[in-house]
Formats: sequence, C-alpha cells, structure tokens
Amino acid sequence: MEPSLITENLKAGYKLSTMEFQKEVEIYVDAVSGVSLTLGRNEIFGIAGESGCGKSTLIKVIYGYYEPSLILRDGSVRLYGRKGEEFDIVKLDRIRLQRDVWWKHISYIPQSSMNILNPTMRIRDHFAEILKIHRGMEKDEAYREAGKYLESMGLPIDALSAFPHQLSGGMRQRVVIALALLLEPSLVLADEPSSALDVINQKVVLTLLREKQEELKNTVVIVSHDMGVHGVLSDRMAIMYAGKIVEICDTTEIFWKPLHPYTKALIESLPRLGDKSKRIGLGGAPPDLRNPPPGCRFHPRCPYVMPVCSKADPPLREVKNNRYAACWLYSETVEAI
Amino acid sequence: MAVAARFMGRIGRLFVMLYRRNLKFRLGFTIILILLILGFLSFFSPTNTRTWYVVPRDRPPSLEYPFGTSSMGRDLFWELCASIRNSLTIAFVTAMIASHVGLFLGFMAGIRGGIIDRILMFLTDTFIIIPGLPLLMVVTTVLKRYLTIPFLGMLISIVSWPWPSRQVRSMVLSLRERTFIHTARLSGMSTSKVILRELMPYVLGWHLVNFTNTILFSIGTESGLAILGLSILDDNTLGVMIYWALNWGYALFRGIWWWLATPVVTLVLTFVSFYLVSIGINEYVHRLVR
Amino acid sequence: MIRGSKHVLKYIAERTIVYIATIFSGVTLTYLIVKAMPVDAVENILFGMIGSVGAVYDPESVILLRKNLYEIFGIGGSPIESYLIFLRRVFTFDFGPSTIAYPTPASEIVFNRLPWTIGLLLASTLITWTVGNLLGVIAGYFKDRRFARVLEGIAITLYPIPYYIMALILIFLFAYLLRIFPLGGGLSIIPEKFDLQLVLNILWHSLLPAASLILPGALGWSFLSSRTLAMQTLTEDYTRYAEVRGLPGSYILRRYVLRNILLPQTTVLALSLGGIFGGALLTEIIFAYPGVGSIAYRAIFSGDIYTLMAVLFLSMIGVATGTYLLDLLYPLIDPRVRYR
Repeated sequence: MEPSLITENLKAGYKLSTMEFQKEVEIYVDAVSGVSLTLGRNEIFGIAGESGCGKSTLIKVIYGYYEPSLILRDGSVRLYGRKGEEFDIVKLDRIRLQRDVWWKHISYIPQSSMNILNPTMRIRDHFAEILKIHRGMEKDEAYREAGKYLESMGLPIDALSAFPHQLSGGMRQRVVIALALLLEPSLVLADEPSSALDVINQKVVLTLLREKQEELKNTVVIVSHDMGVHGVLSDRMAIMYAGKIVEICDTTEIFWKPLHPYTKALIESLPRLGDKSKRIGLGGAPPDLRNPPPGCRFHPRCPYVMPVCSKADPPLREVKNNRYAACWLYSETVEAI
Repeated sequence: MAVAARFMGRIGRLFVMLYRRNLKFRLGFTIILILLILGFLSFFSPTNTRTWYVVPRDRPPSLEYPFGTSSMGRDLFWELCASIRNSLTIAFVTAMIASHVGLFLGFMAGIRGGIIDRILMFLTDTFIIIPGLPLLMVVTTVLKRYLTIPFLGMLISIVSWPWPSRQVRSMVLSLRERTFIHTARLSGMSTSKVILRELMPYVLGWHLVNFTNTILFSIGTESGLAILGLSILDDNTLGVMIYWALNWGYALFRGIWWWLATPVVTLVLTFVSFYLVSIGINEYVHRLVR
Repeated sequence: MIRGSKHVLKYIAERTIVYIATIFSGVTLTYLIVKAMPVDAVENILFGMIGSVGAVYDPESVILLRKNLYEIFGIGGSPIESYLIFLRRVFTFDFGPSTIAYPTPASEIVFNRLPWTIGLLLASTLITWTVGNLLGVIAGYFKDRRFARVLEGIAITLYPIPYYIMALILIFLFAYLLRIFPLGGGLSIIPEKFDLQLVLNILWHSLLPAASLILPGALGWSFLSSRTLAMQTLTEDYTRYAEVRGLPGSYILRRYVLRNILLPQTTVLALSLGGIFGGALLTEIIFAYPGVGSIAYRAIFSGDIYTLMAVLFLSMIGVATGTYLLDLLYPLIDPRVRYR
C-alpha cells in the first residue's frame, strides 16, 4: 500500500502549571504516548475513543499545529503529497508549514463550525482568499472558481454572497468541508465532523464526505467517539485509549470480532436492533494522564486482566492479517520479561 | 455599624493582598500614600498658603524652599501640600456621591430590567451626551460666589455619575445570567438575599474600580475648571496653582518654571498612581469573574 | 434570501429617533439644571456684566440683556411658558447678544470659531483612532516582545493624563525648552490669500494642539482598548482556523483581527466623544488656538453667560450628532447589523 501518512512513535503532551499546596508546579499531561500509524491512499481511516483519550491531540500533532502548552516529546510524522512529495512535519517550522504544506497537502475540518468563519467576510471571500494566497489567483478568477466549486459541491449559489451568521449550522459545516477540500489535499483530518449537528444534517455531511472521498481518492481521517459514524464511513479504524492505540483493523472486523478488551466493551455497549437486553457499560474511569498507571493503561478496568498487565505495557503487534492489537492476550508473554 | 466595619475590613484585606501580589497596584498605592502624607502635612504648614507675599518671591528650588517660591510669595512646598489636600477632598466628595448614585441606579436597572431599565438607561445616556465641561462652565460661572471645596465636589458629581451607572449595569446584566443566580433563586432564596450574597462580591470589586476612576475624573475636571478660572481661586488646589502660574505669573514667559512644574508633575503622578490602582483592582476582579 | 436594505432603513430610522429624543431630553435636563440656579446668582451676572471695566450699556440694552438672561435661565412666567420659550431659543440658536462683542449675537461668535475647532477635532480624532487601532493590534499580537511591553507602559502613563495637562507638558518641552514650535495662536502670518503657505502655517500651529489630543489617545485609550480587543480576537475560533488554513500572519492581522475590532472600537470612540470635546476646548485655551475654546475663555473672563450657553448647547448638539453619525456607520462596518 502506498502510504499517505506515516507516524512513528509519537509522544506529545501538555505542559501545564497548576497550584499544588499553595505553590505553582509544572506538570506534564501525557496525551499521546507512542502512536505509530501508517495510512494509505484512497481510504477513510477512523480514530475512535472516548473524550480525553488523546485523539484531538493526535490530530493536532499530525497537522503540526502546536498551541503554546502542547509539546512534542518524540517521534516523527511524514506526509506524502499527491505527487509523492515528502514532508517531515515535525521538522518543518511554522512558516514553511503555512506556506507549503497546510491546506495544500493536508487540511483540517474542526469540530464545531459555530464560530469558525470570519463574521465580517462573505463566504465567497473565504474561498477566494485561499485561491489567492495559495494558488496566486486574481480576485475575479478566484470568485469564478469559487462559484464553480460550490456548484459542484451541491451548495446553493446564494450562499456565496452571504455572511456566516446568515447560514444555518448544517450549511456552515458543509461550507467548511468544501473549504477543506478546495485545494484537493492528499490527507484530510476531520475532527468530530457531525457531532454538533442534528441527525438530518449529520447524514448530509457524512454522505458528502464519503462521496468526495470516492471522487478525489484521497485519505480522510475521521475522529469520532460515535461508533455509528465509523460504521458508516470508515474503511479501517484505530481505537485509542489513554493516549495509546490499542487496536487497528478493518471496520467490519472491529464490529464483528473485536480483539482488544476495551474495543469489546465499546462494541458491547452499542445498542443493537432487536436486542433488548440491558447494555452494560464499563466500570471505572479513564486514567489520570498526569500519572498514568504502570504497565497497560487499561488494566485497572480490564475484565481479562493478568499479572503481567500491571507490570509491562503491551506493544501494538500484528495479530492476524493486518489486524493489530496492544494486549498481552495476543502477545507472547515471554516478550514482556 | 457592624456592616460598615466588616466592609472596611474586607477592603483592607483586599488592599493588602493586592499590594503583595500586583506590581501595578503596589506602585500606584505607594505614590498615593506619599500624596496622602503630603496632604496630611498641610495641616502643619508653617506658612500661610492663602495669602500673598509671605515669603520672598521667585526663588528657585533650594534647601530652604524645596520646590521654590512663586511670584505670589508662597512657599511652593507647603502650597503643594495644601493643594493636594483640597484636590483630593473634592475628588473624594465627588466619588462618594457619583459612584454610589451610579451603583444604586445601575444595580436597579440591571436587576429589575424591563421598563425601569429602559428609563434609567435613557436618563444615563442623555447625561453622557451632555458635555461635562461646558455644562460645568455655565454652572460654576453662575454659582461662583457659592463655591466651597465640598460644594465643588458635589457639582462635579452631576456629570460623573453616568459612567459608573453604565458599568455596574452591564456587570449586573452579565452576572444575572450566570447559573449560580438561577440556582440560588430556585433553591428558594429571597431576591434580596440573592442580591446581597451572590452578586455583591463581584459588584463590590467593580464599585471600587469605579470609585477610583471617578476620583481620577474629578481631579481632572476640577483642574480643568481651575485653569479656566472657575474654581476656588483664593484657596489652594492643584488646578488653581496652575491657574495662577499661567495667568498671573506668566511663569513660562518669565522663566519661573518650577512654579508650573510643581503642580503639573504632581498632577501627572496623581493621575498615574490612581490609574495604576484602578488597573490593579480591575485585574483582580477579572480573575474573580472567570 | 439576502436583501438587507429594509433592515438598514429600519435601523437608520430607529437611530434617528433616538438622536432626536436624546437631544431633546438633553436640552430639557439642562433646562432643569439651569432653572435650579438661585435667581440672585443670575442677577449677579447681570451686575457683573454691567459693572465690568470698559463696558458701557445704555438702559435699553440693560433691559434687553436682562430679558435674554431671564429667558435663558427660565426665570419668570409659568413653568410651561418658560420651558417653551427656552426650547424656542435653543433650537433657533438665539442665546441673546454676546457681551464680549456686544451686540453681536452669541451664537454668531461661536459659529465663527467653529471651523477651527472642528478641523482640530476631526483631524486629531481620526489620527488617534487609526493609529491607536493599528498599534494596538500589533502590540496585541506581539504581546510578549519588549517593544509591546514598553508601549503598554507608555500607554498606562499617558492614558489618565487629561488633554490639557498634555498640552502644558508639550508646551513646556517643545515651545519653551526646545523652542521648536510656536507658543500659541492659530497663525503667524496675515491671511491675504488662501495659498499653500497659509495652509502650512496653520498646520504648523495646529501641530502641538493636535499632538496634545492625539497622544493620550493613540497611545492611550484608543491603543489600550484596541490591544485588549486584539488579544481577545486572536483567541477566537475563526482566527485560529485562519492560521490552520495556512494564511500568513500579516494577512490574518489585517483581515481577521483588525477588521473585527472595528465595531467595538467605534463604540469606544462614540463614548469618548464628549470627553475629547471638553479636552479640546481646554487645549485650545492653553495654546490660544482660535477655536471655540478661546471664545469660551474670554466669555468666562467677562462673565458673558450668553456665549457660554451658546457654547454649551452647540457642544451638546455637536457631540450628539457625532455619536449619531458614528451609529449610522455601524451597518457599514458590521454585516451582522446590516443583515438579519
């Protein structure tokens, strides 16, 4: 498989200062602990996990967008453009990323589109500015291209001269998706693309994403806590827990035969048509990432816990054909010692 | 009485804490303390600062006369002390009246809302439109002979109350929607209890800020009036000192710069120090509201 | 779907009504304040005028002066009558004859000097607002750099200083110590023809007065509020998303930050108009600048209450009109006001 993105052993987290016993101390919250992924072209890759598992941080690190408190401890991110260009995201500085990589080869769809567009700019200017700055187009040409583009996305021409506050939430999200796909990047990161919408708009947005991916044949990463979204969109999936990837495989396999105990619990908690039995949730809570538990981070809640689990962290290993799981149930215990 | 004492205690503790933590507050407060000391010293002034030709005229600053003497024959150091005392008194009177009136009206408008709010706000906005200085020019010209230090303070408060009123109202409005108010209401607290217990800490912070800002405004306005000759010219205020220096002594033209520099520099220090204190309290209140 | 004109018309109509109502209530409030003055104090003014050195008034003039005085101060007649007379006078700008240039009407004197004041005000306010906005945005963006901190420090020092104190300081430094600028006046050559030399001369004399108004603003309230707003806007979702889209920093500052603080900054400007006006009057006096301020000063000196009233109402209408005009600009600036 020709890769579009390779991350190796990514370690990142937040440096925060808090008050502890009247003194200011600096603590490190471990948000992404050694994530290695390889994504291929022409696939929709899903990342699932509960809130706080680190998926949003992972996205930011892949993108290369660092806020003041987010630091990268280790690892590499390599992005491959449509024509095979290679970008070492971790090593590039902000200026180069802005100029050469962002939006052209990788783009980002944020979670909520409520306040994501400039209130004093019309929609057509949002598109035009990208074309002007990234493609060097003149204003009139940019407007024409924007018009054609919106039509091809199935969005009404009226929307072009509107201001963001005049559009409905669903329409705004579609505009945002259109913006993200405008320069046809090889990798698109979508963070909870439908969570803030009502069911009708959810369907519209998800359908749009699927159709566009089939058309452009790029790589789309869908981050969502909603397994239903993954069921509809994702070809392959990764399950994340407490900053670590615990399972990677085809979506259908995950639903039918999850390997990792956490995935099992996730799947089991989903309602099924016709099955009226009581859904059992998982006891306990995700660990405090300022002080993660030793060994496997899931072991305090795991129904299959073994002695080795509290001593050593299981590596992500290929269990079967292209199925990866990080669990001592599937690795030789010998390797743990 | 007990309420007032507890009130003062709380403010005192607030000041101490701000003094320790906030650099700006510390700086401003220190300068204010110096000013207050100078003002207090004025009660022990060896020379009379209201009559003329008490000491030799036009002497530059020296050991004997730390700030020099003016063409009117006054020791500028002691004149300065008296001026600080009077200017601050006027400002204090204005602040007491205007900021409390503003507090009351703004609170009413914010809490009650509806028609009362609209009426009060219309009143406030109208007052803001009336340019303060020209109005005071007319009023003080007519009432020239009735002007005393406290009365002048009262007059200035006529044009100072709208701003605190607006501030308090917007603060009350934004707090009103906060969940904790609803919770208190729903849990059965009576409205007045809700007001006192929950809102007061925040509003008090803002009230202090408004109080300080009104002091600033008042000193500025009085000095402005004084330069026009519309203050109490035979008493000492900072503005009056400037008036005499400019109009009677032509201080600049004759090279007696210390006569003009003393009140101007003191005024600048006064303004900056009160403003620093205001920012200090402001920063604290902002952190509270978060 | 997007037709904004009806909404804008409604907005303009609304603002106009508020404008008229505000002026009306301002005038009424002033009437009440003025009416509250004790009658003998008012009488004293008359005596002051008549008795002032060099003034010679025949008996008819005195009667006229008294009549004008009474009508302006709402003395005599029934309350409604005196109120209506008062209103008539204000809205026809009839404040009686001035005494500093008897018998020229007070309003005429003030109107003559108005262009100087308006020129000074317009230019200073525009420069203050623009420069303050730009500097504030830059200082907000580079908030941790040394120059931004220094600017903030300067602004904190300059902001609380009233314009006329600034005027005194500037005069002291640049006209007295360093002798660069003239000590005052509006021009120093005789205006024979309207040519470049005249204009330059006027500008040269206006520089220090304008600077007194600009400095506490552009490095004072305008800068500080612009900076605070800019720092807030920089944390907004839409600004962050603009960075994510690979748009360059300078573009974002211009199109996302600056553009979005224009509306709240206009509000700040509208609220400051009253203060700027008052400050301008005093600054004019200190620089002997031939505007409304100097007239007011002379009026105070000779007790010319008529001229003072003219100044008062003219400034009230002026400030109200300025605020109204700024209000009308809102739809142009903020599309959220223009369209529902």
